[in-house]
Amino acid sequence: MKKVSVSFTLNGDSVTAEVPVTWTLLKTLREYFELTGAKEGCGVGECGACTVIMDGEAINSCLCPIPEVEGRSVTTIEGLADEDGTLHPLQEAFLKNNGVQCGFCTSGMIMSSKALLDHNPDPTEDEIRTSIAGNFCRCTGYVQIVESVKMAAKDGK
Amino acid sequence: MPDHLFVGKSIPRTIEADKVTGKAVYIDDLKRPGMLYGKILYSKHAHAKIKKIDTSKAEKLEGVRAVLTGQDIPDVRVGFLKDQTVLKKDVVRQYRDEVAAVAAISPEIAAEAADLIKVEYEKLPAVFDPFEAMKQESQLVHELDARGRPLKSNILPLPWKFEAGDMEQARKDSTYISKDTVSTTWVNQCCMGTSGCIAEFDQNNNLTLYDQTNVIFGHIGRITEYFSQIGLRGKKIRVVNPVVGGSFGTKLDTDIYEFIAIQLALKTRKPVKILFDRKEEFRALPPRQPAVFTIEQGCDKEGRLTFRHCEAILDNGAYTSWGATTPSVMIMPMSSLYRVPNVYFKATCVYTNNIYAQAMRGYGNPQATFAVETSMDTLAEKAGIDPAEFRLINRNRPGDDTPMKLRITSCGLEECITAVKEKLNWDNKKGKQKGRGVGMASLIHVAGGARVTKSDGHGIMVKLDEYGHVDVIESGTDQGQGSPTVISQIVAEALGVRPEDIFLTFGDTALALWDAGTHASRHTFMAGNAAIGACAKAKRQILEMAVEQMPKIIKSGFKRKKRKDPGFVEPDLDFGLIANPEDMDIRDRMIFPKNDPDHPHFKLPLTQILQNGLHVGIGQSKVVVAEEFYDPPTEMLNWEMKGNLSMTYAFGTCGVEVEVDEQTGEIKILNLVSAHDVGKAMNPTLLLGQIYGAAYTGVGYGLTEEIKVQNGRVMNPSFRDYQMLTAMDVVPIEAVIIEPIDEAGPYGAKGVGEPGLVPTAPAIANAVYDAVGVRITDLPITPEKILTALKERK
Amino acid sequence: MIDYDYLRPDNLEEVLGLLKEHGPKATLIAGGTDVMVKIRNTKKAPEVLVSIRGLKDLRYIEKRKDYHIGALTTHRMLEQSELVRTELSALYDGASRVGSVQVRNVATVGGNICNAAPSADTAGPLLVLDAIAFMEGPEGKRSVPITEFFTGTYKTVLKTDEVLTEIKIPGEMEHFGSAYWKHSRRKAMNLPILGIAVSLKLDGEIISDVRIALTVAAPTPVRAYKAEDFLKGKALSDEALNEAGKIAASTECCSLRDSLRGEAWYRAEIIEAYVPRMARLAAERRSK
Repeated sequence: MKKVSVSFTLNGDSVTAEVPVTWTLLKTLREYFELTGAKEGCGVGECGACTVIMDGEAINSCLCPIPEVEGRSVTTIEGLADEDGTLHPLQEAFLKNNGVQCGFCTSGMIMSSKALLDHNPDPTEDEIRTSIAGNFCRCTGYVQIVESVKMAAKDGK
Repeated sequence: MPDHLFVGKSIPRTIEADKVTGKAVYIDDLKRPGMLYGKILYSKHAHAKIKKIDTSKAEKLEGVRAVLTGQDIPDVRVGFLKDQTVLKKDVVRQYRDEVAAVAAISPEIAAEAADLIKVEYEKLPAVFDPFEAMKQESQLVHELDARGRPLKSNILPLPWKFEAGDMEQARKDSTYISKDTVSTTWVNQCCMGTSGCIAEFDQNNNLTLYDQTNVIFGHIGRITEYFSQIGLRGKKIRVVNPVVGGSFGTKLDTDIYEFIAIQLALKTRKPVKILFDRKEEFRALPPRQPAVFTIEQGCDKEGRLTFRHCEAILDNGAYTSWGATTPSVMIMPMSSLYRVPNVYFKATCVYTNNIYAQAMRGYGNPQATFAVETSMDTLAEKAGIDPAEFRLINRNRPGDDTPMKLRITSCGLEECITAVKEKLNWDNKKGKQKGRGVGMASLIHVAGGARVTKSDGHGIMVKLDEYGHVDVIESGTDQGQGSPTVISQIVAEALGVRPEDIFLTFGDTALALWDAGTHASRHTFMAGNAAIGACAKAKRQILEMAVEQMPKIIKSGFKRKKRKDPGFVEPDLDFGLIANPEDMDIRDRMIFPKNDPDHPHFKLPLTQILQNGLHVGIGQSKVVVAEEFYDPPTEMLNWEMKGNLSMTYAFGTCGVEVEVDEQTGEIKILNLVSAHDVGKAMNPTLLLGQIYGAAYTGVGYGLTEEIKVQNGRVMNPSFRDYQMLTAMDVVPIEAVIIEPIDEAGPYGAKGVGEPGLVPTAPAIANAVYDAVGVRITDLPITPEKILTALKERK
Repeated sequence: MIDYDYLRPDNLEEVLGLLKEHGPKATLIAGGTDVMVKIRNTKKAPEVLVSIRGLKDLRYIEKRKDYHIGALTTHRMLEQSELVRTELSALYDGASRVGSVQVRNVATVGGNICNAAPSADTAGPLLVLDAIAFMEGPEGKRSVPITEFFTGTYKTVLKTDEVLTEIKIPGEMEHFGSAYWKHSRRKAMNLPILGIAVSLKLDGEIISDVRIALTVAAPTPVRAYKAEDFLKGKALSDEALNEAGKIAASTECCSLRDSLRGEAWYRAEIIEAYVPRMARLAAERRSK
């Protein structure tokens, strides 16, 4: 089992992980760093439950070979709230608008939304739906998720 | 009605903040010390003899701790009809048959070991068509029944037959009759969190099962029975829910993988986790029950229904889970959706070598309603009556007793149909047939519990600490529907505290009283009523404490004042106002006399009373704890399949406007209106979430979803090829909430978890017919089917 | 158990060196959305993965005399490029419909065509935009028109020691309007049941030049030459377009098959319906 040492920025902190080279970013986050917010919903980039932000862009961490993370900046759901526990507007909005039901898709859903709002603070509904098209949800029918993102965009201003 | 502080308000889900910060622990995230990972080896054939299993290579792989085959564990039969064993020994009867299982120190090693197990099969002829399998001469899927007696046919010995009235006379009395055959296929529940559990034995062989099940006590029942046959009689089982990643019906039976995890844990003496990957979830998880219905309905000259006659054939697959019991729910729409005096319904379940089915949101109701509501439209057309009008003529009304002996109490069906008509602009849009059309369908569903087992109870325990925290020990499962928020609203309202004072424990059998299960849309109704009962008792205890403690507190307060200021004159108070608990109340954490809620001296914080009541100093300390086991006065279905099994029933109507591209068959939903009679909306925002989510799944059921099974094999076991809808598949949806307060429900509420899903598919089918004049009777309604039908018509 | 060496060279020269060194043991990986999925699904991996993801030099969209797109340009870059959206519209259509934003953020256009699935969403657009594929190997640089690039299902002319470096689209395509239709059951996260790309040049109402490409209609992405020949010189009319659609759907232009995602007869219907629609859309875009 070949191992690799990867240094990168994780939720603002400089970290180094020594893990098997075959590990993905998802597995590294969940097993090495014990950040279990990102989930494996399919393992093949088809559901979005593993979405994190890398260098400002939403990616499926289940498809990202860990060596590719060297020198990059990764943000996960655990890095969104302030240190004192104050929630990010997206997190607040999802709780207020029932954008979260069972919650399994939520980490990925919020990270996709954050990537959108970071680039485009005032998105149209179309743009919101495009940004979360790769995040499956069975509970909500997406309606209240879109409303949550809209509310967060408004609150963020 | 008094003004509620919390009930009926859209309180945010702050109590579930862990879900938006990545802290919530799902079964995927849960680890136990020394835990091993289990992996299952599945059959490579639909029907074959197992000649030989060679596990030697697998056992030698480093990191493997156990390899089990059917030879290694007792031959105990499990399942609703006890027609399968945990690991299959001599014969495999479907592609998902579990042939061997491995426990290893990592999931990768377990998977590699499973791949190293060599199984030699001898293929047997298989049968995949239930109509073929029903025939006398068909290959038998099972040769023996659970008791070892020879079976003569693939037809299951289940009593699904319902009769009411005089069918022969009813036919004679009918002016119009229509007959249709419709069919529905397998669809996957698509929980975002896949199936999984951790089985762990303690030193004394008592089991803890970390499991997502919705029937924590049902699990104990089935595992207890299993234990008694594998040498563990009398051992205790504790089921504990982690955070659950969706259920939609998948977690109502004890599945084979759970028994396998138990066996691996027993063998290795370590906790063993089995977690399905997505492929397994599509291939090995029992999906929704498919069915073929032949349905006939008749009506008189005025359009009043005279009879409904229906026969259904259900592909039961190779073994039996709850799919085979869906007819017991199908009887509900068959006999009680709309007023129909004469009813005949017979369902035949047939073994095949296909995958077998379990429950899925709606539990047979979506399938049966597709049949009934297709037939309502074809009959309306025969009678020359507008389909909406036809439904209004035959609508259920409050106070009705249906042929199934369901007692309809509150019923908002008329309001639902009318609302849908209005929102869709029905009268102007119907009958144009220029590629655009409207259609509707209604539903009836249980909404006040569902007595499917002898006890339909739900127990809640409430206890308060002296800091004003309220612990609510729930007996149900939180599957994401919002129960923590809704129950905390109910408790806060009933007790006089705030929702943020409430802390709930769900899904732990060591703590919970008992619950029949979080199914049948019953949770809010049952737990709500139990909570109200428990809170009434707790409130009584608090107020008894208050009448004892308040005078002491006030008087000693005056004494202190007098000591400090000798000039202080004790006010002349009427302590009679606070002498009786019946005269007291609690609201917003304060206790006060009802007749003088703002009394300057007699209004004290709840916490102060609790502290004084617990820390008395001379013995006689009291704690506040109360429980209520709510088991409503409903009936089980008798041998005629009749009985009022629920306290109340939900009604609703779905209306759809579609546009069909006649060149390609593509369908676009222009508008979907989902009207529901919910009794009372406990939390409007959460309620909308249930309606939107269910309707959306219903659209998938109607238009895009199907598990493609070829010769028993699931051909599309991925999100790429299984067409669950994405956020870009926009369905403009409007929810209409009708609130005919139901006396039986907690603050008037009725269940609403499943109803949104039930009528969507037939509403779409009816709208497509209105748009282009072709009726698709076989779900899903795909562009290919529409195009084929359009061509055939030419 | 899967194990491999993961190498991350800095420049093209290093990449070529590694490919030479490891020969058949090595496989290139760019965005990873095909390679990683294949490894996961087959449970097999090459011994050496040579990652070209870091080769920033191969990531660009430029218009000089011609259009130059670096092989490592992501679908998201194509989607968000005003230039691509307005002047190479079919490529915008194709790239923006691949998978999801998460996939498009890392998946490269080079990876898409080198994987050579018959359903590749950029293949049809590139075929109707007269694209030329540039590659580099130990013997030096060479180029191949995209019409000759695909040799079979998942097969291309790219040798195992070569790397695709650039896709060039001739500058005169600026005068063509183009469009791509991805036919699928839902609006995202799907492979197409069928893909139709059309580009055309108008002289008044006359179609002076036209290209039609079909994907999932043959073992490789193909041009519907017979349909193109029919349309050239004709007026942009329903009659002509519908006839072109019929020719495109016939065995003269493609070899439709039944598969899990769709049946041959339905695919033919879609071609007949959407060739005219995409031609009209391409014409509309041209006149802007």
